Amino acid sequence: MGLHFLGRRLLNALVALWGLGSLVFLLGRYDQAGGPEQQLLPDGTEADASTESRDPAALADARQAVRHRLGLDQPLFYLSQRVPAAADGARWRWNGTANQYHRWLARLLRGELGHSLRTGQPVAGQLGAALRCTLPLTGAALALALGAALWLGQGLAGPRCWWQGPVRALLLALQSAPPFVLALGLLLLLANPRALNWFPGYGLATEDGLTGWAWFGELAWHLALPVVSLVLAALPDLALQLEAALRHELGTDYATAARAKGLGEARLIRRHALPNALLPTLTQAAGLVPALLAGALVVEVVYALPGMGRLLASAAALRDYPVVLGGVLLTGAARLGALLLADVLYHRADPRIRWAR
Amino acid sequence: MWALLAAACSCSTTPAPPVAVRIRWAQDPENLDPMVLPNPQAIEAANLLHCSLLQLDYAQQLFQPALATGLPARQALGDSLTVFTYELRPEARWDDGKPVTARDVAFSLKLMACPPALGLPNEDTRLAYRFVHEVRQEAAFPRRVSLVCAGQAPTHLQATGTFPILPEHRLDVAGRLRRFSLAALQNWPATQPPDTGLTAFAQQYQAFRVRQRGNDLPGCGPYVLAGWTKDARMTFRRKPAWWADRLPAPVPAVLRAPCPLLTFEIIPDEATAGLALQRGELDLFPQVPARLFAQLRQSPAARRELAFHTAPSFEVVTVAFNTQRPALADAPTRRALSLLLDASGLLQATQLGEGQRTAGLIGPADPRAGCCDSLPPPAFDPPRAAALLGQAGWQRHPDGWRRRKIAAAPAPALQLRLRYRTGDAMQEIIALQFRAAASRIGVLVALRPTEAGALGAALRAGDFDLCVRTVKGNPFSCNFMPLLHSRAVGEGNVSRFGTAASDQLLERLAAAATPAQQARLLRRFQAMVREQDPLVPLFVVPTRLAANRRLAGLHAYGLKPGYALTALHRATATEPAAVPAP
Repeated sequence: MGLHFLGRRLLNALVALWGLGSLVFLLGRYDQAGGPEQQLLPDGTEADASTESRDPAALADARQAVRHRLGLDQPLFYLSQRVPAAADGARWRWNGTANQYHRWLARLLRGELGHSLRTGQPVAGQLGAALRCTLPLTGAALALALGAALWLGQGLAGPRCWWQGPVRALLLALQSAPPFVLALGLLLLLANPRALNWFPGYGLATEDGLTGWAWFGELAWHLALPVVSLVLAALPDLALQLEAALRHELGTDYATAARAKGLGEARLIRRHALPNALLPTLTQAAGLVPALLAGALVVEVVYALPGMGRLLASAAALRDYPVVLGGVLLTGAARLGALLLADVLYHRADPRIRWAR
Repeated sequence: MWALLAAACSCSTTPAPPVAVRIRWAQDPENLDPMVLPNPQAIEAANLLHCSLLQLDYAQQLFQPALATGLPARQALGDSLTVFTYELRPEARWDDGKPVTARDVAFSLKLMACPPALGLPNEDTRLAYRFVHEVRQEAAFPRRVSLVCAGQAPTHLQATGTFPILPEHRLDVAGRLRRFSLAALQNWPATQPPDTGLTAFAQQYQAFRVRQRGNDLPGCGPYVLAGWTKDARMTFRRKPAWWADRLPAPVPAVLRAPCPLLTFEIIPDEATAGLALQRGELDLFPQVPARLFAQLRQSPAARRELAFHTAPSFEVVTVAFNTQRPALADAPTRRALSLLLDASGLLQATQLGEGQRTAGLIGPADPRAGCCDSLPPPAFDPPRAAALLGQAGWQRHPDGWRRRKIAAAPAPALQLRLRYRTGDAMQEIIALQFRAAASRIGVLVALRPTEAGALGAALRAGDFDLCVRTVKGNPFSCNFMPLLHSRAVGEGNVSRFGTAASDQLLERLAAAATPAQQARLLRRFQAMVREQDPLVPLFVVPTRLAANRRLAGLHAYGLKPGYALTALHRATATEPAAVPAP
């Protein structure tokens, strides 16, 4: 696998990312229902019997002023449809570069993600702050889930043992449980003064001025339950898939030949079956990587963690387009990067794999 | 590894300083710029940082003087203008020791009125304070300011006094806005480019906002922002030398700030917030959901540690009809359908019986409720609804109800679409109950749960037959024009209701000068709503507070946020702990 291949894949990934970003940009702005100007001004439909009465006509003008300030009154794209058609029959109008899409793309190429429509703060700063919470959470969960899946998968595929049945049943039960049930269950069991009051119930480290190990300890203590919730949600798929792949590999001719040569079952699994069985697990792990950046909304809500999941969900609900786009681009880049990495690891795990030219 | 780390951090379960009062917020305030304030949390935070001429005294349910020495002197100018004259307190100071003067009041109003071309985010405040036409200052009396307002509505008195006052000497160092009158800024032609001085001011102001974390601007309120982690926590520290501390005793209730540190914990999930309250990690949980509130109240352990407070609010849950739909254009049909709403059952199902049934948009606990005491709450009576539909010209067929045929025109069918906010359990229960009752008499109802952002647009466009909405009120005014005036069709008047007579009644009610006149008109208004049924009031939602018993100064009030921050503090050894309000 050469640099040529990597370069081509990277180029494809960039084109895919541009397509993804453009699609989300155009779809988001095409949907005018509940647009940002409606979120930034008092919603007339929530109007109350108030001391201040806003003139409805003036409210419409104010909405237009918000759209103008945010640049939403510009044409959306280079081309727009004339309704009704022009006198000469032309149905399409060329808007030149004075359009929202061009402005967004030009800024993006300069490395600017723009500013939040609601807070006025730079999007990159908001994403960075959310990632500082999300990455330790999802990163630890992914590492622990992968490690536990490798260990459990080998154990379940190994020689028959009394614990395999109950563990398999437990994994199946966990697999069928929705993430919010797991998160709330752990919270009510282990952070509840009426049950076991062992862990903090919400948030990150709360002590100001902590540094070094004390800060890390506080952070880890606060993240314990959220991380376990995520591990329990991701583990069954990974472990059961790996067990199935290992069982398949252990039934193949090369495994039988290895056994005939006197190789022990544990060594056979570790040295021969596991590298081959890892391929589907690599795909699964690559699928989990975007969640590293996109956050885990349910867990963040239940444990009140200020992460990417909550940031992006609230931005989508409040039509804060720049934040949504920044999040989509980041997550999309993570997905494409993970797929590229998975391809490389495929090649490392199974040298028989050749790349199509 | 977790066990080691947990041991390393020594299991400190009460990390906040012992003096802090910790309050739950469901969402982040997002922005502290007084011109933006996108949600109730932002308004609450702004009230800690900034002071206005008048502030709300929750206990009295009145606006009381804050920066002003007293309520404004009011003078009518002809029959179309009113002048409100305020005197500012001589003790009122900014943090740098400079006095708060009439110039600051004028600057704040002008800032809110800056033309849109400057790109300031003042669209809402520009709209809200359009009625102030002129600011008059007197060189000899730098603490006296007069606001000339259009009209003579009684609500102007509160409205002129409740905007945050900002420091001119910090935000407009060169005094660029002084060159312009308020009217000139308000009426700046859309086609005229902004003056270079104005542009320079706007740039300087925007740069100041960007420098300030979270857009918090300097204020003369009792607190400063001590910390803000978005979506996690916001902390306010009381100023060590706030100007109101120098006021002679007794200090007005609106200018007290006994708590040295206020921390707002942003916890979106209610179950998590409930656990945090029980663990002692929170001191106050406002707007507790009905079911959790009942569970906590029934738990002996929770009762030992927590105090529970409730009060009737000014929020009335209603179901509105789209009166411009042909099927719902006539009052008899709407009246018949209103009998399909089981308000008592819904109150029990959604509030566990805690709120109050109401006959009108003024709840029974409202001080003005006496004017609608003759109206009984609407009844739940499906058989009578069927009979009334028959009287209204509808006929029941195997496939539903149809109007009696007129000539060769097709008979319209009674098929209703009910919109409500998706994910809102209360609204969903109301929608389901209505559909179930309607199906009993053969009326077809399709439910349309709609995402919150899209719901507003759908209601404004009239894309519904019925919708569930909560009408928010207050005890200060009887201005129902945003809800039912024909000018508000396409905005707050989602019922699209309005006749010449109803419009006139609403205008007279909003302008009523005396309590007697207001009561008389309010009685007519309530009767008109009942007669025409553009919307059906169901019940009043209660305010529910659950708090740690160590918290003192807490009482539940009907106005949001339901408690007075200026009264909260931790009970000292000599002070009794909080007890529920009777």
